[in-house]
Amino acid sequence: MKRKTGGKVSRRDFLKGAAVGGAALAGGGIPFIARMAHAKAGVIKYGTMHPLTGTYSALGTDQRNATQLAVEEWNAKGGVLGNKIEWVHRDDQLNGAVALRRVKELVEEEKCDFIGGTLSGAISLAINEFANKNKIPYVAYCQSDMVLGTDQGKYGFAFMVIPYSAALATSKYAFENLGKKWFSLTADYRWGHSLLEGWMWQSQQMGGQFLGNVYHPLGATDYSTYLTKIMAANPEVLVMNNLGGDQTAAIKQMSELGLTKKMKIVCTKTAMTTLKECGAAYDENIMGGMTFYWGLKDKYPGAKKFMDTYMKKFGQPIEQDGESGYVATNALFMAMEKAKTVTDKEKIVAAMEGLKYTLTKGPETVRACDHQREQSYLLVRGRGKNAKGWDLADIVAEIPGNSIIMSCEDNAKKLPFSQIKLP
Amino acid sequence: MFSDINWTVFFMQLFFGLALGSIFVLLASGLSIIYGLLDVVNFAHGTFAMLGAYAVFVAVSLSGSFAVGIASAVVIVALLGVAIELFLLKPLYGKDPLLPLLLTFGLSIAVPDLVKIVFGLTGKPVDYPAALGGATIVGPVILSNYRLFIIVFTLAILISLWLFLKKSDLGMIIRAATRDSLMVQILGTNTSGIWTIGFAIGTGLAALAGAIAVPMLAATPDMGVEMTMVAFVVTVVGGLGSLGGAIVGGLLIGVIVAFTSLIAGEYSSVAMYFCMAVILLIRPRGLFGESGRE
Repeated sequence: MKRKTGGKVSRRDFLKGAAVGGAALAGGGIPFIARMAHAKAGVIKYGTMHPLTGTYSALGTDQRNATQLAVEEWNAKGGVLGNKIEWVHRDDQLNGAVALRRVKELVEEEKCDFIGGTLSGAISLAINEFANKNKIPYVAYCQSDMVLGTDQGKYGFAFMVIPYSAALATSKYAFENLGKKWFSLTADYRWGHSLLEGWMWQSQQMGGQFLGNVYHPLGATDYSTYLTKIMAANPEVLVMNNLGGDQTAAIKQMSELGLTKKMKIVCTKTAMTTLKECGAAYDENIMGGMTFYWGLKDKYPGAKKFMDTYMKKFGQPIEQDGESGYVATNALFMAMEKAKTVTDKEKIVAAMEGLKYTLTKGPETVRACDHQREQSYLLVRGRGKNAKGWDLADIVAEIPGNSIIMSCEDNAKKLPFSQIKLP
Repeated sequence: MFSDINWTVFFMQLFFGLALGSIFVLLASGLSIIYGLLDVVNFAHGTFAMLGAYAVFVAVSLSGSFAVGIASAVVIVALLGVAIELFLLKPLYGKDPLLPLLLTFGLSIAVPDLVKIVFGLTGKPVDYPAALGGATIVGPVILSNYRLFIIVFTLAILISLWLFLKKSDLGMIIRAATRDSLMVQILGTNTSGIWTIGFAIGTGLAALAGAIAVPMLAATPDMGVEMTMVAFVVTVVGGLGSLGGAIVGGLLIGVIVAFTSLIAGEYSSVAMYFCMAVILLIRPRGLFGESGRE
């Protein structure tokens, strides 16, 4: 019989609708309308991609803001060698296929000569491949394996630590200060696996005792169900190899179940958004790794200048993924000045290799052998109920870059981590 | 793989599964009522849950009480449901049945963006209520008090809902309208108001699910996507438009997710879709679905 709608929604319609809607929610968006542009003389065209929609939009927005700040600062002092910088950016939706379409738009339609950005290691690998095929310098803002061996290529540069370095830094601190018996909760995808490899390798070197690991799918919401395994293992250190909403939910539920009173939790990479979203649950028993925390402004004048300008313009402190974008953008323009050209890409790439600068932390360099920014890694501790505003964590250690970066030879061969057998 | 399982682990896992399933039950029963009564495939269901989570955040920030938070979440979101039904859904009745689906789909994209503008991109935390902290120990089994609360609270809500639908006059009209709204109309009842109330109850239940889940997660603008998915899976497994189906389906999926986490953690999310596929193959109308709705 008929009801108020023109016809009954049948079970098939319901399922069809759900499928179409689901697909659209998962990967959709509004098609981009192309705009034609032409390269102009006296203008440097720099194009970037960031996930401005979806789960990581907060981090993507940081990246965009940081790039904007760097470009404005350079333009305010007259551009690079007298050339104005024209910057365009796109939303890559944290989706590899979308990112590839966007980078083609940036290069073919917007006529960008230099590209940067992205938040996902996997996407940066795809962009790096495209950049190398088209001989366009690319500065990656995110943790990525693209500096390793065959993935590397001549035109790509990585401004975040590689996952292994993050794992080396946090595990070294944990084994020295918190305990040697560890258990891990790992997001089941390439990045999580890389972190676990790093921990396992370090554990072998430092006599750690690996009690086990559980993998969880990306976007899992209930972590209590993993609790029984963790409690049975009873480690001194529980390692979290995950990020974002996964980490927030895991920490909140571990704290609900009283686990933070029984063991220390160490997040190989954590973020201010996570600290903020966890609230009081991110207490002093929880530590996390970061390449940058705004509290560094008390230590480095460069960090203070950067944070003061950024806070004034955008009203809140920046995350590590944004900071790496700021450094990457600056390094690109510094390399142009060093090479004394804004057009000769070969010379700019050569100038980038071995580039030395001091910007937001101590003195740093872009290694010539693998195009990786050599930088320190921080360990922060939560403040729980004492957190106020953006004062969310205390820096407990800054681990120097040269102690956690792999040797050029090892990097080229993806050693020693490729020898680790994951559970 | 199975050697880790003993009775203690089994009961703890079952408990966690039932707690998770309770949230699914609340989500799915709301979706089921809306579908059963209005024939609307509510793609914004998780979005209402997300709004419930944010309402708790605001109310707890202002009042400091989690109970006030839950109550405000239900009232605010149900009222919003009323407004949406009256002004956006009603004009679409009698037209293509896919139009309400498109409308709710649009809401599921637009509302999170509005929330981002109002509350920012970073999620908002809600702490566990102090009275429900800690754990109850029953022999070797440790039960989190908050999860116990979730199970008991959901049970109380379901009993109230059942009493309302079975015993009250309005409940009876709603049940009748679910079966045959034309006949109810002919008998002289204003079904238009019934649909509004049904939509409000459905969105209120979604808000409740978001509200009790928020201390375990955080209120984030995009949390609704996952919740919509779960609600749909549970509804398909339990049977479209069936309240009993939503309850059994929700608990079943919760328990399946919990035990999959124990045996092969990486497949815990896939498990519910696998369960849905199996149910669709052997019993396409779901466990409790009406046979007419093929």
